[in-house]
Amino acid sequence: MLAVMAREIRLLPRRPALAGLVIVLPLIMLLVLGGIFRAGIPTGMAVAVIDLDRSDLSRAVTRMLDAAPELTVTHRASDLSEARSLIVSGAVRGAVLMPQNLERDITRGARPEIVTFYDNQHMSAGSLVARGARNAIDTALAGLRLSVRQGQGEAPFQAMVALQPIPMQAHALFNPAFDYVHFLLAALIPTVLQIIAAAATAYAVSLDFGPGRHPRVLMRMAGGILPAMLGKILPYTIIFLLILGLSDVALYGWLAVPLRGSLWLMALGAVLFVLASQMIGALAFVLTRDMGRAASMIALITAPAFGFMGLGFPREAMSTLAQAWGAAIPGTWYVQLRIDQSLRATPLDISAMSVLWLAVIAGVLAALILAQLSRLARQEVAP
Amino acid sequence: MTALSTAFRAELAAVLGDKQVRMIVLLALVLYAVIYPLPYRAELLRDVPVVLVDQDGSTASADLARRVDASEAVALTHHAPDMAEATRLVHQRRAYGVMLIPDGFERALLRGDQSPVALYADASYFLMYQRVMQGAAVPLRQMGAEIEAGRLIAQGTPRAVAMAQVSPATQVEVPLFTPAAGYATYVLPAAFVLILQQTMMMGLALAATRRGPLPGHPVWRLLGRAGAWLAIWAGLLPMYLIVLPVLYGLPILGGPGALMMLGLPFLLAAGFLAQLVAALFRRGEVSASGAQRHGSQVVLLALGLPFFFLSGFAWPVEAIPAHLNAVAQLIPSTPAIDGLVRVTQMGATLPQIAPVLWHLWALAAGLGLTVLAVETRRAARQGHRLPT
Repeated sequence: MLAVMAREIRLLPRRPALAGLVIVLPLIMLLVLGGIFRAGIPTGMAVAVIDLDRSDLSRAVTRMLDAAPELTVTHRASDLSEARSLIVSGAVRGAVLMPQNLERDITRGARPEIVTFYDNQHMSAGSLVARGARNAIDTALAGLRLSVRQGQGEAPFQAMVALQPIPMQAHALFNPAFDYVHFLLAALIPTVLQIIAAAATAYAVSLDFGPGRHPRVLMRMAGGILPAMLGKILPYTIIFLLILGLSDVALYGWLAVPLRGSLWLMALGAVLFVLASQMIGALAFVLTRDMGRAASMIALITAPAFGFMGLGFPREAMSTLAQAWGAAIPGTWYVQLRIDQSLRATPLDISAMSVLWLAVIAGVLAALILAQLSRLARQEVAP
Repeated sequence: MTALSTAFRAELAAVLGDKQVRMIVLLALVLYAVIYPLPYRAELLRDVPVVLVDQDGSTASADLARRVDASEAVALTHHAPDMAEATRLVHQRRAYGVMLIPDGFERALLRGDQSPVALYADASYFLMYQRVMQGAAVPLRQMGAEIEAGRLIAQGTPRAVAMAQVSPATQVEVPLFTPAAGYATYVLPAAFVLILQQTMMMGLALAATRRGPLPGHPVWRLLGRAGAWLAIWAGLLPMYLIVLPVLYGLPILGGPGALMMLGLPFLLAAGFLAQLVAALFRRGEVSASGAQRHGSQVVLLALGLPFFFLSGFAWPVEAIPAHLNAVAQLIPSTPAIDGLVRVTQMGATLPQIAPVLWHLWALAAGLGLTVLAVETRRAARQGHRLPT
């Protein structure tokens, strides 16, 4: 087995396509993905104001909107259709409408409406714009209510207290900075690595087990089909683990993602995850014995995997079928483990379930590969 | 002219006649129609489970709990005696938030003091956090407003004045284009454009690595091939961007005319880029080996997600560093996702997205000229080599 491993590593520099696949491509991915999310939460998104009142109050609200970190007031629209056109063309992400006689109606107690329109087709940006506008308008209105109470002779502190009989103390669990970069990166890097590990392993296996190749040499070298297969797979396991480790150094060091859980459990999960991803590729190849069909099979399983991990839309809210499909993909459990152990500080007994699932998937894949290999060996002996 | 039609027919045969290339195009349909949308079918998050820790056990705390439970966004599914037990439920993902009503809640309200309530929402899920906050904040605010108004009226303030003082203006929020704020409606139209590009490029790159030498000037050969792409994908593009979305019940606002006008330069640009990717894997090789052939397929597969996030759709362009964003503009999916989503989902007219249209044509022209340069150089090199 060691001889096969040594041969594999020796041959790597002579196979530029494979070396590019297992080393250069993952490193480029790491740089690009890290680069995209490095800047953190988006700020200064463009909004339009439709100020039909042109009063001191509407100008104060506009100032508040512009001062919100999420927003910049870039346009003034004269009516709704102009604002809609600005949103549709992408010039702004939302618009705030302040109706005519806003200030007068407020002082009369007529409770006029301030309407925020936002582009929810671009949901992540749109909801940030909505939140920014909501807070800005709230602040402006609270200022107004406060000044009315103080005008009636209440002390500032007393007036403040009276404004909110039941204040809500909001706590963002596991993510106090409200920064989704950590979560996205923690999931995106394994997703991309899962694709590359599966494809690269399928390719490496094809070089020795493909049509017109002679796996017997390899098997004699290793002393059996199992050590031969392991010898082919393990060198890449080590390379992918090193890349994963590098991404962890970047994530937890450079990007300062908190690491609150057990490093050992995460490491165990990483080994199982890389092995399972590789075995998807190996299985795809030994089943099809054709790199083109194997690549399509790998694509079918690994390319849509990100959606099933439940980062945007939680797994628990998916249909049973979608949950089951996601549960069969190693990345789902590894990403859950990473997020649980790094950001959520999940108790070990709960997190152990993810590792257990990974082990089950890896075991099933290994059994399937061995069954197929021994079937192929029998077929070769038979004629 | 014969060179053009030869190249046209050869490319048609290479895409439709080859089993592996056909499988990739078919794969797109399976990915597209069945697997990819699977996680998002539920669309809406209703009654997100939240744990109630009621340490007060009073009439007022029960009233507040009832109001929160009645909201559409959340449901108080568990009751826990303390925070430790409640947090464990959140760790297990059986609940996504905890509402803690502290001891003395009612007493403070009756005394006329501030009586805070704590809400812990799981912020590892953006959508869940939003729903939990929304579900609790609205009833809390309402109850608070009623209490403030009640106190003012008790002090002798007229009812209308008290109401105006409590909430001088009403805030209304109108989400545009996805009325139900469904997740599938949000993510699928953009993902569909990307899958279309990636599978088209995979198929064409594979076809390109298998292509033998053809007669004629490179310009005619390239135009002939481009004609074949348009002939094939003129049928597939509307199939993916109109028929399937309709089957999935996604709202479609835009007309087919604008869609095709954007689709034309998009398909050309993606086709040309596929030729360049194929050339990258063919460099230095006379006949491509198996790895070279499928290398482009694997690279395009791995690039799918980065391309999606670089496009500025899911991750706002305002947050992407400028130099990366500049690179992203060279990928056809970046303007195509923006333009096609605006046309189909937001009902944009062509004049409203004119910059996107120009952007795509510039890409198609630029990439086309690069392909020509690369292929002319290679033809010259091979012509040089042949006599020896």
